[in-house]
Amino acid sequence: MTVHVFGIRHHGPGSARSMLASLRKLQPDAVLIEGPPDADHLIGMAADAGLKPPVAILIFDVEHPRKAVYYPFAAFSPEWQALRYAAEAGVPARFIDLPMALRLGQEDEKDDGETEKAESEGGAIPAAARDGLPGDPVRWLAEAAGDPDPERWWERMVEQRGSSEGVFEGIAEAMGALREAWKPPGDWEARREAHMRQAIRVAVREGRQNVAVVCGAWHAPALQKMPSASTDAAILRGLKAVKVEATWIPWTHGRLALESGYGAGVESPGWYNHLWTHAEDPLPVWMTRVVRLMRDQDLDASPAQAIEAMRLAETLSAMRGRASPTLEDVTEAVQASICFGSDIPVQLIRERLIIGDELGELPPGAPAVPLQRDLEHQQRSLRLKAEPLERVVDLDLRNPGRLAVSHLLHRLLLLNIPWGVLQRGSGAKGTFHEIWKLQWRPEFALAVIEAGVWGNTVVEAATARLAEAAEAVIERLRERAALTTDLAQMMGALAPLASTLRYGSVRKTDADLLTSVIAGLVNRVADGLVAGTRDVDDDTARDIAGLILDVNRALAVIGNEGWLEQWRAALESLGVRANRHGLVVGRACRLLLDASRLAVAECSRRLGLALSRGADPTQAGAWVEGFLEGSGLVLLTNDELWQVLDGWLASIRAEDFMVLLPLLRRTFATFPAGERRQIGERAARGAVRTAADDGEDIDLERAAMVEPVLRALLGDIDG
Amino acid sequence: MSEVQRQHAEVQFKAELDALQKSDNRERPPSWKLSPWAVTEYLLGGKSEHGVEITPKYVGDRRLIEVAVSTLATDRALLLLGLPGTAKSWVSEHLAAAISGDSTMLVQGTAGTAEEAIRYSWNYAMLLAKGPSRAALVPSPVMRAMTEGKIARVEELTRIQADVQDSLITILSERTLPIPELGEEVQSTQGFNVIATANNRDRGVNDLSSALKRRFNTVVMPTPATAEEEAGIVRMRATALGRALALPAQPPALEEIRRVVTIFRELRSGQTEDGKAKVQSPSSTLSTAEAISVVTNAMALAAHFGDGRIRAEDVAVGLVGAVIQDPERDRQALLAYLDNVVKERGWMDLYRAARDFSD
Repeated sequence: MTVHVFGIRHHGPGSARSMLASLRKLQPDAVLIEGPPDADHLIGMAADAGLKPPVAILIFDVEHPRKAVYYPFAAFSPEWQALRYAAEAGVPARFIDLPMALRLGQEDEKDDGETEKAESEGGAIPAAARDGLPGDPVRWLAEAAGDPDPERWWERMVEQRGSSEGVFEGIAEAMGALREAWKPPGDWEARREAHMRQAIRVAVREGRQNVAVVCGAWHAPALQKMPSASTDAAILRGLKAVKVEATWIPWTHGRLALESGYGAGVESPGWYNHLWTHAEDPLPVWMTRVVRLMRDQDLDASPAQAIEAMRLAETLSAMRGRASPTLEDVTEAVQASICFGSDIPVQLIRERLIIGDELGELPPGAPAVPLQRDLEHQQRSLRLKAEPLERVVDLDLRNPGRLAVSHLLHRLLLLNIPWGVLQRGSGAKGTFHEIWKLQWRPEFALAVIEAGVWGNTVVEAATARLAEAAEAVIERLRERAALTTDLAQMMGALAPLASTLRYGSVRKTDADLLTSVIAGLVNRVADGLVAGTRDVDDDTARDIAGLILDVNRALAVIGNEGWLEQWRAALESLGVRANRHGLVVGRACRLLLDASRLAVAECSRRLGLALSRGADPTQAGAWVEGFLEGSGLVLLTNDELWQVLDGWLASIRAEDFMVLLPLLRRTFATFPAGERRQIGERAARGAVRTAADDGEDIDLERAAMVEPVLRALLGDIDG
Repeated sequence: MSEVQRQHAEVQFKAELDALQKSDNRERPPSWKLSPWAVTEYLLGGKSEHGVEITPKYVGDRRLIEVAVSTLATDRALLLLGLPGTAKSWVSEHLAAAISGDSTMLVQGTAGTAEEAIRYSWNYAMLLAKGPSRAALVPSPVMRAMTEGKIARVEELTRIQADVQDSLITILSERTLPIPELGEEVQSTQGFNVIATANNRDRGVNDLSSALKRRFNTVVMPTPATAEEEAGIVRMRATALGRALALPAQPPALEEIRRVVTIFRELRSGQTEDGKAKVQSPSSTLSTAEAISVVTNAMALAAHFGDGRIRAEDVAVGLVGAVIQDPERDRQALLAYLDNVVKERGWMDLYRAARDFSD
């Protein structure tokens, strides 16, 4: 009876190759794999050619489906190759890790909120939970070897190694040394290793003669030295189980990537897959794929450049003392020889080839994720079939059933599942109609899985997504606000934002974010007001004058003293500019006057200046328009202003008056009727008031004519 | 020799090159004075086997230098792209010095560079007297590099007119230079290669034709990765320049340089260093070279008009001048940046000084 332990790296093609070679030589009669025994019944499906990696096993708590764990497998994952080997060789395979039923059961006792969060992030379990230790053991080895990058070190030492001779012994030894230096395993790690040992004992007890164990390299030493069975049994005693379900789901290389948030992920699944499928001479095929990808994007790339890139990659690896080029060498060579030094195509290569967009497949009739089930359930109850052919539906929203369909389609859109696309412009039938173009595409299956991180029903997921989307919108708004330079745009944005803030249609946290956006805008509007109003034509000036009013109103509504102060300071500096459009300057002066920031005396001086004889009459007219538009009340209450305006009107030359009349009429037309009447009355008796104010110009003749009547009325005083 | 204002790299660093050559026992490409490993070490600095200190010529990513050296080792021409102040010419000179022991085979690219400067020209007196012959031919630096098996350098390649640039294509792909007047050709000998430099942000440049581009491996020299690194470069160069100009000012405090560098980096990248806020980028280049000149300018101001200590006002003058190239747009960008970032950060002295100068 022998037990062979293969300490592998999850998703390492080199590990997979070495392990497969060893398995073929060893011919074991049982294969035990570090994986969830809850999914033992799924192992048989690995033999089905319809199950194409990348795929994952999804395990979730039946009562709380949000508690879920994914175990992904790629073609180059040692675990997957072990499963396939067992299926082909016809020997039993078994998962031996601590069952998820037990782990999820224990997490129940802990802080619920926290675990849910950890498990739902990116849909992957955290590295620590999977490997049972803080950090990456490979990192420690790499650092000891003087390479700061564990991925690169491992790739060079193990994955790209030509021969598999002695690899596993070496790894186990290194890990053993590390484990000795490391603090004793934590509770969960100890339980998982105890369970794995128990599973090995079971296999031995069943009479297996030649057992192969495939597990993470870190655990290898713990499975080679077996303590007594009773110790392990004690460790495992008293664990509570919950009911879980397991299913295969299609997975993608993108979600295997480290950057997707998957703890045990790799940096370059696409590259690993390439190394796995083109083990003999990977470089020429890789370069060809790069060049073809570039050409697909209409970028210039020739086979000659591919050859140069290969030569450079090989020289680089020689210079760096490596037997064959690593991904790093290859990518740098590609950037220098094919991408003309630019890193933009490199990003594309990264996305499409190095990470890759391959999608796994399930055999027909395989079980599915909760969100998928909910969706199927809704499709049935709404009688809305998922069909690959495009069709158009017209929804009458007054019908509750049709309304529910609309809700479903809108929710799916929120979840990035564009099954239906809302058509615009064709709805001539009124607002209660929606016209949708429906087409189901197979890749939506993946979108459903991805949306699964938001919730297990369509309603739940869409609600969760909505909250996040609102935050993203505000964040985006802030970026746009920081980058725009157009004064009118910034001012135009201020008013609606201010009313959003005022009436608080968003949650508290968002309001803080919004406040900072508005503060930035106020800052920049105030800074740019003077510069932005230079050399504007009449139309623009009219727009800006309107916006000045809007901003003023909006800021007054919010009532933030600091912002008002900043804004008024800007108006003040605008109000004294002689070389700005009269409309804008007049408007600024008016608002300052209303806010008591400008004394009446000073205001009338400015009005007088603007209307002075030297000034261009049309600009003077514009000034008046800017100053008065909306309300003429100011004229009725401020005598000085009245006088200045009156004097100006009287002094305009006839031809200028003709030009100005329409403009003035337009201005005065905006006043309320009552104001207009009072202004008219005031103008009519203007001369009288003038005479009464000024004693010098009394018309003695007219006075003499009135005198007898006065005498009669008042009585003859003098006698 | 001391009268020479600036010595060639191979003269100035002769001791280092000799030391490396003595200890270098690795394989060398044909006609190379040093192995690729030793060339890399010469550029990046270290200690030779005989204990000679090798000063770093390039501060930055090791991998870039490795790609550059490997490119030359595979007989491919090398194009160094980057902003001013990213040490393109500096690296090109030192690569030529280390590989060929000669950095003088230089063509300076300008809008007026003619084809003759890249191919060959004639000694017209002799041409008229004796007719066309090899003796009447005046070889260009590129042609000499071909015959001597050395590295030819073309500076500011994109400043050269496009049709003149393309005369490099035959040289790079066929490795020959035909002389139709004589019915002859010059074939390059082992060790010949070309290093070109170009600025990828300047306006008014002639883009390389794709035929020519394909004959180069391109290495983009980045602006320094971290503010720390950039501040170090600015300090090193500004101090050296100050000494050369005999400025009595004290070398500026690292604190002040760090502020200049941070402002340059943030305006250049369009966001703050902590990545939390976007800022508007002005139209100016804002290269490391300009940061160096802001600091030396401040040193000069402090030395001649102040007490030798650099203050915010001294820095602000140069800073505002470097940022504002387009009076309206850049000014607004700078003001917004000052208000939203500099003021928030509490650099009030710099804020006030810069606002004063930009009003």
